Amino acid sequence: MSRLAQLVRTADWTGWLGATIVLVMMGAAVAAPLIAPYDPVAISIEHRLSAPGAEHWLGTDQAGRDVLSRIIYGARASLAVGIGAVIIGALLGVSAGLFAAYAGGLGDQITMRIVDGVASIPLLVWAIAIVGVLGVGPVTIGSLQLPNEVKIVTLVGCLFSPVFARVTYAVAKRIVGADYVKARYLQGASHWQIVLGEVLPNCLSPIIVQATLLVAIGIVIEASISFVGLGVQPPQPSWGTMLSDARNALYSGEWWLPVFPGLAISVTVIGFNLLGDAVRDLFDPRNEARTLVA
Amino acid sequence: MSGPILALRGVTKAYAQGSLLDRLVGGASRFVALDDVTLEIARGDVIGIVGESGSGKSTLASLAVGLTRPTAGEILLDGEPLAALMRDHAGSWRRRIQMVFQDSSSALNPRKTIARCLAQTLALRGVPRATQEDDTIALLALVGLGAETAPRLPHELSGGQRQRVGLARALAMKPDILIADEPVSSLDVSLQAQVINLLSRLTRELGLTLLFISHDLAVVRTLCSRIIVMRKGRIVEEGPCLDVLARPTHPYTQLLISSVPKGIVGRRAPAAVASATSSVG
Amino acid sequence: MSAPLLKIEELHVGFRGADGIVEAVRGIDFSVASGEVVGIVGESGSGKSLSMLAVMRLLGATARITGGRVVFDGEDLLAASEARMREIRGRDIAMVFQDPQSSLNPALSIGRQVIDVVRAHRPVSTSEARRLAIQALERVGIGEASRRLEAYPHEFSGGMRQRALIAMAIACRPRLLIADEPTTALDVTVQAQIVDLIAELRRDLGLAVIFISHNLQLVAEIVDRVVVMYGGKVVEDGSAADIEHAARHPYTRLLKACVPSLQGPLGPLAAIEGAPPRLGRMPPGCPFAPRCPQAVGVCGREMPALVTDAARRIACWRPQ
Repeated sequence: MSRLAQLVRTADWTGWLGATIVLVMMGAAVAAPLIAPYDPVAISIEHRLSAPGAEHWLGTDQAGRDVLSRIIYGARASLAVGIGAVIIGALLGVSAGLFAAYAGGLGDQITMRIVDGVASIPLLVWAIAIVGVLGVGPVTIGSLQLPNEVKIVTLVGCLFSPVFARVTYAVAKRIVGADYVKARYLQGASHWQIVLGEVLPNCLSPIIVQATLLVAIGIVIEASISFVGLGVQPPQPSWGTMLSDARNALYSGEWWLPVFPGLAISVTVIGFNLLGDAVRDLFDPRNEARTLVA
Repeated sequence: MSGPILALRGVTKAYAQGSLLDRLVGGASRFVALDDVTLEIARGDVIGIVGESGSGKSTLASLAVGLTRPTAGEILLDGEPLAALMRDHAGSWRRRIQMVFQDSSSALNPRKTIARCLAQTLALRGVPRATQEDDTIALLALVGLGAETAPRLPHELSGGQRQRVGLARALAMKPDILIADEPVSSLDVSLQAQVINLLSRLTRELGLTLLFISHDLAVVRTLCSRIIVMRKGRIVEEGPCLDVLARPTHPYTQLLISSVPKGIVGRRAPAAVASATSSVG
Repeated sequence: MSAPLLKIEELHVGFRGADGIVEAVRGIDFSVASGEVVGIVGESGSGKSLSMLAVMRLLGATARITGGRVVFDGEDLLAASEARMREIRGRDIAMVFQDPQSSLNPALSIGRQVIDVVRAHRPVSTSEARRLAIQALERVGIGEASRRLEAYPHEFSGGMRQRALIAMAIACRPRLLIADEPTTALDVTVQAQIVDLIAELRRDLGLAVIFISHNLQLVAEIVDRVVVMYGGKVVEDGSAADIEHAARHPYTRLLKACVPSLQGPLGPLAAIEGAPPRLGRMPPGCPFAPRCPQAVGVCGREMPALVTDAARRIACWRPQ
């Protein structure tokens, strides 16, 4: 643990900036009801399209809804999709990668070709197909009713899984050939013990790095899907839908309508990218091997 | 129990090469790592298996210990066919034969402490949690390491210490047969002697049967009573170690012996060098 | 006594670590005469490879020369510009490394790589360069060289690759060849051939050779002089015969005793306790003191100086 602390101390200021941004955004998403000044869906026609000012710090939109509150609540959708998709993608992808690397032979080939297949599907085509079949309403499974976001999260998660699968496969393949894994095998350790006890822990660093970077991509994907109307449905706030609604504002001068959601997306993505880069540098074997050998 | 403790009968190991498509179409070539090898090892033998790269000595080790299956022939562990035993992956037969690997960055899990590594091994032998710590210390002492080694990570130890840990890990299973695949080749010269002496002592004290695989004839001579010389997947010569080294009959053995550096005594007048188109180049 | 071809004085090489500079080569002195073959023997942490990389000014970004002088044929190499070093490398001083596989560009044919070396240093036409390349390959024992020019590294065996690298090294007739563990990655039969080759080239081309190895027996087969390094320092320097029959430094003596041989007595090997020192954790005083059975108080406190005694140099408070 002290080695980790030592490495953290050497982290760049950009890493700290990224971490701060991420924490602020996540905090906003979690504490939204507490910090948002207004109800994000409350309509107020007399205050519509007001510029940023004392009462509404970031202005109001066409229906008089407070932009700041909508951005704070919008963080929820973006982060939920980003993080949720990464979790699903990691669960599916890491399992596939570990299985393929450990099983070898035919299992390896079949699994990785399936991964290649999933990787070749373009996102928007997939999204349109799914939404076309299932519609944009909430999902009903038995007695459970899940919001539309679940479809998006699952969809994007599946599309992220090949990245995790490939990263895991590359590292796991190398580890599976290691002598210490052979030693465990010779001791009669079960396959589960080997995969979970020896292989997976040594794969974690690149997986974590990938995860932080993919959250950023997930946020952009959520915004894109919502922008074309296939994601979060009105009146729920989402940075993507806010951008979509603000398309006309570019011509009529209400600059605060596209600028703030756009900034929110950009800043959050930059934050996750900086954090991801810092995490990658942290786990870089060149940093880990600070004990020098002549 | 009479009979050889380990026997290989007509064992061949071949690998198909080329892509999946080649193999399906039937156009793939085969690389034969081990070609019809037959050998018997008696209980308590200390045997050196020497050869250069491509000799098949490492493949022999993998087959003997049950890491891979032969393409043809059979392997008998104390009279029982290994193929049948291997069906029981976690069976007690695993304890009978263990392996010590070359010291490399992948010999020990870089993220596990030595204590954890040994404790997990002991657990698989059925040692209860309560005694694992004491047994770990005892194992470390057996290989000449102090208790302070236990909480360390592999990269904090020297090559010699890591090899001792590898040896402790193998011995934790209380095997009858130990297969050592180039255990001292990557060590500094001053550390090699320590590990060789340790292996020699332990083999005697514990009554182990040892298969010592190496490319280094001099090391094998120090440690082993019998020697097997391999080349390109076949055994070319075998017999009592000192006899074979003093009076080699096969030309390859003679070549190997003459190639070993001997210091000033081996000083050759720089005569014309044979062209490198010979197969040995 | 004519001036030596290569003279190294008080060379220090260090790495930039987390807490300042960590020295790996801590002040070494030795020289190589024209046409002389010198072997440098040492284990990990001895600094043998690093010191030669420093001479060639091939240290990576993390290591740097922190002191000393390197004079080659009257020229101060440490003060030379990078352009001048590029001229010297390959033409006056050549180097061959341990792993032939990673030293060759897998995407270029062998012939192409040898020709590139020739043309980098000599203004010759393509056909002349090709002729010189074929000559170099034949020199190192690669038969059918004109056909072999088109071959790629992966088509060569390990021994052949090393020969090709030696061909590249001698293509421009350097005066000094530095071979850093050239046979360690090769099979023992091939090793013998390469060592023979180097001895032959030395005889025919009048090359000086620095042969780095951890294997004292191997080095003693072809060198005139042996330099033993430990913990970043030179501990003993003497003729091959002296080192073989009458080594005086405890480390050298123990090193010879702990290596098994095909002729020696059987029985437990004389082992050296402990392990070679790690970077940044060098003991004060003599680096071998913690492991030395002859060590006394002063050994652990003060570094012994390299003292010349007849044709020998030794750094020890209690030489045998």
